[in-house]
Amino acid sequence: MSFKLYNYVLSGNCYKVRLFAGVLGINYDSIAVDFHPGQEHKSDDLMQLNPAGTLPIMIADDLVLTETSAMLIWMASKFDSDNTWWPATDAAKTAAIVQWLGFSSDLTSTIGEARLHTMLNRDVKIEKALADGIVALRRIEAQLTEQGLRGGAWLVGESPTIADIACFPYVALAPDAGLEHDDYPAIRNWLYAIRSLSGFVTMPGIHEVHELRNEGD
Amino acid sequence: MVTEPVGLSNNLPIKRVMPARVGDTDIAVWRSASGVVSAWLNRCPHRGMRLSHGFVRGESLACLYHGWQYGCDNKCKYIPAHPALEPPTTIQTMAYTVVEKHGVLWVSLDGTPEIPALFEKLQPVRSISFNCSNEDVLSALAETTLTCDDGQVLSASDMQSQNILILDNPQNKPKLAVLFQKSSAANVTAHLLADNSWSIDGLIRISRWCELVRRRAEIKIPDNRRNL
Repeated sequence: MSFKLYNYVLSGNCYKVRLFAGVLGINYDSIAVDFHPGQEHKSDDLMQLNPAGTLPIMIADDLVLTETSAMLIWMASKFDSDNTWWPATDAAKTAAIVQWLGFSSDLTSTIGEARLHTMLNRDVKIEKALADGIVALRRIEAQLTEQGLRGGAWLVGESPTIADIACFPYVALAPDAGLEHDDYPAIRNWLYAIRSLSGFVTMPGIHEVHELRNEGD
Repeated sequence: MVTEPVGLSNNLPIKRVMPARVGDTDIAVWRSASGVVSAWLNRCPHRGMRLSHGFVRGESLACLYHGWQYGCDNKCKYIPAHPALEPPTTIQTMAYTVVEKHGVLWVSLDGTPEIPALFEKLQPVRSISFNCSNEDVLSALAETTLTCDDGQVLSASDMQSQNILILDNPQNKPKLAVLFQKSSAANVTAHLLADNSWSIDGLIRISRWCELVRRRAEIKIPDNRRNL
């Protein structure tokens, strides 16, 4: 197996890794963690592995990774032989990708938090999380709009990168928190493009593109 | 009722569906595999699911909930749970008049499309939504300027008619058109079209300019309306 993933099915951050593994066509060991209601990620065993007490946790070769951006870079470097998802030798592109990897944590702390409140009753300042979530959606919409005017469909450059994988989950899951995609045409087209990728995998709240299935499936 | 612009054509490719609003009415606009555009009440006649969450199968739109499929004539064509049944023709969606013109999708709820006399050769730039009123947007627009590729500075003082703001000069050769789609007192969407004098950098400047307008317009919302 390529790596081991401590995983929770409803987590958008765990889904980043599952999605990228699907797109790259690699198998991995998944260990289900009872995040809710069991709080297993705060158990002694998992806190020893990851003192931050967060999910996912990836055991990759001799590494223990706890940040999804690091996981995506490791996966791309190790398994993407075409070097398109993380074009390591292209200074401008990698810098631009890291910008969006950083931004993806803003999505987690806004839309992700609002979603925890809505779905799992977490104590969250919901008005602020939603207002900041709209700001985050508008930033993605603006970038995708500009990329569209340049003739592109992705956050960075002309092909999908780990920036798209990192930002996709919590943008796609925004309706879970009550933030619909109605006001964001560029986001809708981008979500559709990612859902159309070969090897795309679903999660609760993010379904497949039925149009691509054969009639009667 | 005024015919409302509900979106830009290039944001609705074939085999796709999108949500839209005309006043208080929630609408699903979709384009079939052969390119036919339909605008329906955004409600499946079966269980009320938003049809904009559905998916296009050739010349039909399927509801995501139970897969009921409706054709371009608004009538139900197929019910997956009863594959042998020919659905009664009385099962149909609530359809509105939709016209595609000038690269814009226009919807009329009462069946009489009145498309404003626009102009040929404008290209779509973007749609942008504001959490404030049309008046807030117009007053923010009046405070900003936009520089064209040739250095000309556009301001909103030029012309204004109905829901259309035309920047630069009257009717004949506008450089930029802003079409307003009003949803409510607290929500408005603008669709922007530009003539062919703009470079890609110029179009991106337009996109950033309308975000500046939005920042200004939303600041104008008094605190007692902000929570609407």
